[in-house]
Amino acid sequence: MESSYNSHVKRIIGGIVIAAVLGFLAKVVMTPESFGVYGHYRADAIIEEADREIRHWTNASCSSCHAHEANRHSKGNHKTISCEFCHGTYADHIADGKKVKTLPVMTGDEIKTLCLRCHNKAIEARPEDVIKTVAMPDHLKKQNVKETHTCNQCHYVHAPLEYINQAIKITGIKETI
Amino acid sequence: MNPAHENVVSTLTNYVFPNDLHVHWSMMIALYPYITGIVAGAFIVSSLYHVFKIESLKPVSRFSLLFALAFLACATLPLLCHLGRPERNFNIMLTPNPSSAMAGFGYIYGAYGLVLFLEILFIFRPTLVHLKGQSSGLMKIIYRALTCDSSNLSEQSLELDRKIIAFLAAIGIPMACVLHGYVGFIFGGIKANPTWATPLMPVIFLLSACVSGVSGIILAYILIKSFRGQYIDLECVKTCTKFLAGFFIVDFTFEMLEIFSHSYLYTEHYHMVDRLLAGPLYVSFWEWQVGLLSVVPLLLLGILCLTRISDASYKLLASVVSFMLLLQVVFMRWNVVIGGQLISKSDRGFTQFHPEWFDKEGILTAIVLMTLPLIILFVLSKIFPFWNEEDKDLNRKEVGGT
Repeated sequence: MESSYNSHVKRIIGGIVIAAVLGFLAKVVMTPESFGVYGHYRADAIIEEADREIRHWTNASCSSCHAHEANRHSKGNHKTISCEFCHGTYADHIADGKKVKTLPVMTGDEIKTLCLRCHNKAIEARPEDVIKTVAMPDHLKKQNVKETHTCNQCHYVHAPLEYINQAIKITGIKETI
Repeated sequence: MNPAHENVVSTLTNYVFPNDLHVHWSMMIALYPYITGIVAGAFIVSSLYHVFKIESLKPVSRFSLLFALAFLACATLPLLCHLGRPERNFNIMLTPNPSSAMAGFGYIYGAYGLVLFLEILFIFRPTLVHLKGQSSGLMKIIYRALTCDSSNLSEQSLELDRKIIAFLAAIGIPMACVLHGYVGFIFGGIKANPTWATPLMPVIFLLSACVSGVSGIILAYILIKSFRGQYIDLECVKTCTKFLAGFFIVDFTFEMLEIFSHSYLYTEHYHMVDRLLAGPLYVSFWEWQVGLLSVVPLLLLGILCLTRISDASYKLLASVVSFMLLLQVVFMRWNVVIGGQLISKSDRGFTQFHPEWFDKEGILTAIVLMTLPLIILFVLSKIFPFWNEEDKDLNRKEVGGT
């Protein structure tokens, strides 16, 4: 093709203009319809988020069936902890009011890991008067138990001091942490 | 420690808010300003020749543009790896938000990429037209597209190109400065982080960009030329090294001045910055960034610029200094981005950062992302001849020896 001295410049400018027009068209076509109704976001997103299936149904839902555990839990030091925090989500357990799956039960080292998620002395962000934290295995040594002991061998997980307090009451031995 | 407890014991210090435990802006966010900085720095080398007519930089003037383009092509990849959902990245263009600092980067990056690409097209046009005549098949199609299917190399046409190149190079300098200054602004604009929120941040980022860009050009020039067994223009290396020394002295001065000012004024939060630099960042900041990778290169740059040494020693020392300064900037980005996030908002404790090898934002990803521009550069070398002497005959014949 015969080209004049500035034909490459014209073609580049033409290319930029075409790209700009295509970009503008893409913007018009692809901008979601509800965008900008309330602010710089897609207004439909609010409805979509509100319509999401509920996964966490709170302690009240759990206690409607597990009354015994709920009763002890509500009197113990863990009363402010959500059931689902340790057991998993309600939606994995119940669907349409019927049990669909048994939630996993923590055992052995799993339970130790779960407890230390909050009760680890190394996490000094937790003030002592709010939450008891322990260093492992020092805590087990101090209590004169084997280092292989898991937390729930002494602490009832739903009310962690229930048995400890009963034992103190019966034996009169003072607690050391 | 009993192995059963190893997984659950972390080593945090003092009082850290639970939402400060995790360093959210990981290595990818340290790589992002690093790659962008190399782009801006390399472009400035090219502009020193094209705008300020520093003739001794001619050998690297074209290479530095391609070097900048290769890194520019990868500059936003770390962000995509960090954020995920790459298909959403064009949303900042579809629904532009003028009040978003991060979207602003997208616009500056896009505009700068266009200017850089156009400048490469115009500067390489005579070469590309010549190569178009010699090539066939796919390469011919590529060259036809890159030359806009025009083979006109008349004096009038080249004169027009020269004017356009001068214009693009001239607007390219402020754009390159804005591009990287803006990255500094994005960090500097985060009030909640005491190590970032300083008006000096854009300045320090821009200067460190120049340092990494010039270092990258020197190192790549010497390595590629040595590897190919070609002649190394020592005058060019010397000029680059002098600019590197200039940029680095100012850069390092600002880095130290910032800490000195905060330290002397004992500004708010300084007690935490002080403890950060004396504690978790002591090795990576004082020993590596300041000691080994700043003071030593400054001494070496002094030797290179002020004393007479043999040509072979000069090339070797210049490569070593460039490599050290490239590393210095990596450490600087790391210490700013990762280091800044180690301070808890409680102002009373530090968290820790543990890079993973195979994480989405891990060490392997970082290595791949830093290798990718070099692969792109290799591909570009097959299309654009890096060095002016490779088409010297062409220059004489068609551009009148300019």
